Amino acid sequence: MAKPNLESREKILTRLCDRNLLNCYLCIKCTSGCTALKLLELKPHEIEKLVNLGFVDELASSDIIWTCATCLKCFQRCPQKASPYHVIIALRNLAVEREVKVPEAYMKAVSQILEGGLAEQPQKVTNKKMETCDREGLKLPKIRPPKESFQTVFLKALEEKPS
Amino acid sequence: MTKVGVYVCHCGLNIAGVVDVEDIANYALTLPSVAVARHYTYMCSEPGQRMIQNDIKAHKLDRIVIATCSPRMHEETFRKAVSEAGLNPYLVEIVNLREQVSWPHSEEPQKATEKAKAMVRMGVARVKLLEPLERQSVSVEKNVLVIGGGIAGIQASLDLANAGLKVYLVEKAPSIGGRMAQLDKTFPTLDCSACILTPKMVDVAKHPNIALLTNSEVTSVKGFVGNYEVTILRNPRFVDEAKCVGCELCTQACPVKVPDRFNENLSQTCAISIYSPHAVPKIATINPAYCLKMKTKNKTVCGKCVQACEAKAIDFDQEPEAIQLKVGGVILAVGSEVFDASRVLEFGYGRFPNVISNIEFERISDASGPTGGKILNPKDQKPPRSIAFVQCVGSRDKRFHEYCCRVGCMVSLKQAILAREKLGKKVDIYVCYNDLRAFGKGYEEFYRRARDMDINFVAGIPSDIRSTADGSLYFDVFESGTNKLLELHADLVVLANGLVPSDGISKMKELFHVLRSRDGFLLEAHPKLRPLECSTAGIFLAGACQSPKDIPDTVAQASGAAAKVIDLLSSGEIELEPLKAVVDKDLCSGCRICESLCPFVAVEIKKEEKDGKEELKAEIIEVVCQGCGLCSAACPTGAIKIEQYSNKQVLAQVSEAFPAAAHKGGSHR
Repeated sequence: MAKPNLESREKILTRLCDRNLLNCYLCIKCTSGCTALKLLELKPHEIEKLVNLGFVDELASSDIIWTCATCLKCFQRCPQKASPYHVIIALRNLAVEREVKVPEAYMKAVSQILEGGLAEQPQKVTNKKMETCDREGLKLPKIRPPKESFQTVFLKALEEKPS
Repeated sequence: MTKVGVYVCHCGLNIAGVVDVEDIANYALTLPSVAVARHYTYMCSEPGQRMIQNDIKAHKLDRIVIATCSPRMHEETFRKAVSEAGLNPYLVEIVNLREQVSWPHSEEPQKATEKAKAMVRMGVARVKLLEPLERQSVSVEKNVLVIGGGIAGIQASLDLANAGLKVYLVEKAPSIGGRMAQLDKTFPTLDCSACILTPKMVDVAKHPNIALLTNSEVTSVKGFVGNYEVTILRNPRFVDEAKCVGCELCTQACPVKVPDRFNENLSQTCAISIYSPHAVPKIATINPAYCLKMKTKNKTVCGKCVQACEAKAIDFDQEPEAIQLKVGGVILAVGSEVFDASRVLEFGYGRFPNVISNIEFERISDASGPTGGKILNPKDQKPPRSIAFVQCVGSRDKRFHEYCCRVGCMVSLKQAILAREKLGKKVDIYVCYNDLRAFGKGYEEFYRRARDMDINFVAGIPSDIRSTADGSLYFDVFESGTNKLLELHADLVVLANGLVPSDGISKMKELFHVLRSRDGFLLEAHPKLRPLECSTAGIFLAGACQSPKDIPDTVAQASGAAAKVIDLLSSGEIELEPLKAVVDKDLCSGCRICESLCPFVAVEIKKEEKDGKEELKAEIIEVVCQGCGLCSAACPTGAIKIEQYSNKQVLAQVSEAFPAAAHKGGSHR
């Protein structure tokens, strides 16, 4: 079994700037409502507890932290004002800093943002008359690709490692 | 020549474990005027006190410094001890070596000892300037005002009345009974609330020593402990209390439907109605906001109740009536409110009719409630096939109230048991909890009983509750024991809403100048040693206005508060602390700053003739003053001093704290 690494835990605490974000009572409200739980088995309460106990290294190198859909439900509804979301983001930053391999699916979403400015491509929908429409059919404006400057800023931000 | 005795207490190892008590005693002997210095394991014990008393006699000591725990703990003990030895009790100075030295500085024993020495030095400098003070006795009124007619107010009133005191019980609703009257059965014995409460309500109404003032509110309070002058406003019922027989013929005749407050608005009553089935007094009341005649102010409108009433009790011309009372003590028993769960958006209370609060469940389950005791869904009035209870709604939640509501767990257990008993074995019952707290006498056994009744306990709280088109509810909850996401379906969801401070509490704060704690409830004088009284003398606390409480705790506190009042008023007179503000009239400029600041309204501004001119001067009503010192600190001319805390006495301490600075600096006032 793994041993807790309190140094890594300290790194997460520094990133969170506030111990309050780890004040978890284990009421499990976050996991009950987690968007990523049903398909991807993300358990926010488990992440809170693991970080609290010092099992940060395992989490930072695991794929599970990249499954969070950042819907912020856990943050908004937590009775203890703890925020698994902020803990997960801190873990992701730590992972990038340690140059852990980021899962492909996540990188795919990143490249989609770079190309189209959106995490998901616009999809076709079915209306009340059972017709399949795209944005044009719904008379919605076209989505323009992001400006050149956006890509530059984004790529620059990716390259700049936190010191 | 002043002779000071210094006594250093070990407090077991509380003080002696950190600071060097022997060193301090030896140091004290080197201070000017100190004749005796000793240290002892427990100064507050009988041999410790005797040591001081013997020294006073043998060495003719006239000032005593005791370096021990906080003065809030044992100042009174030591005052009593020295006065038994013939010394004025106000010539004792307590130096707090425990809360201010050994406990906070346990890591640095050497520095702590230095600090302790400095504090003893300061204490010796101050004690030499203390003046003997005498306690004043005042006579007291042997009447008591009890505010709030819930179980707390009822119990306190009965205890006081049985002890021979005259009690005025004021209730703002048309009937006494409070929250307990709304409950179906009570944990952990499952005896019916009405069966145990109603006899007490009737006792209150019949007791010769209790004056029951329902539909009434306290509007102003003046005076001080033992001698409060209170004004009570009796709101009109528009029904003559002497004539009404409680036959309810008027209610049957009334054409106006009004939401029934007693049934948590789950059913309707009429504009003229009796508050509840067990109401005491059983007298009808007209709601002027709904009554057609009163709303339209037209004498020809409606009037059906007047025709129906055989006793001719209805009187639309009743006016509010103010009553003046003189009372010696006051018990505040204004209770609490139930948390409004519509603030927790994700649970859909208020949006989905089948999401109900625990107090609504009580009414639905109660035989005298809107469904006659049958548990039915509010939406379609059918019995639910599955019920889920969700715990900790609005309490233990930093977004709303941080404290534990202390009743939610047990209420849900009881309601789950009632549901199982009434709806039979086929119904699925879930309790979604975080920590289940069953802490009282017989409570764990009650929890066991619920476990044995095939109730599913789910360790996890749902994130949100969703509704289908037919009004039934579904939600996901992650169960930590099995690591599985349960997808549950429930016809009825009951939220365990906590208890929160009521409007009555903020009103009591304004009227009586009592303090509130951080959670909003009324603050007791000491959380452990004085839990039944406010810091304002003569005001006592009972029930859920002090903190959320269940019935056993409320009744215990109410009886305790009643005993405290009896203790206060039994001798017919009380002694007042002499540590009060004193005004030097020559210095007072009549600026009225003190008057505006005094939280106890103890400052009176009086006109005085001086050299043919009229001048305003502040005067302290000694018996009202609590000696808090606000006025003294704010007085721009330095005209107000607090006895035993004059500038001279305090600054003597300050200059001993910084001996080097005193030599350099100038003189002080």
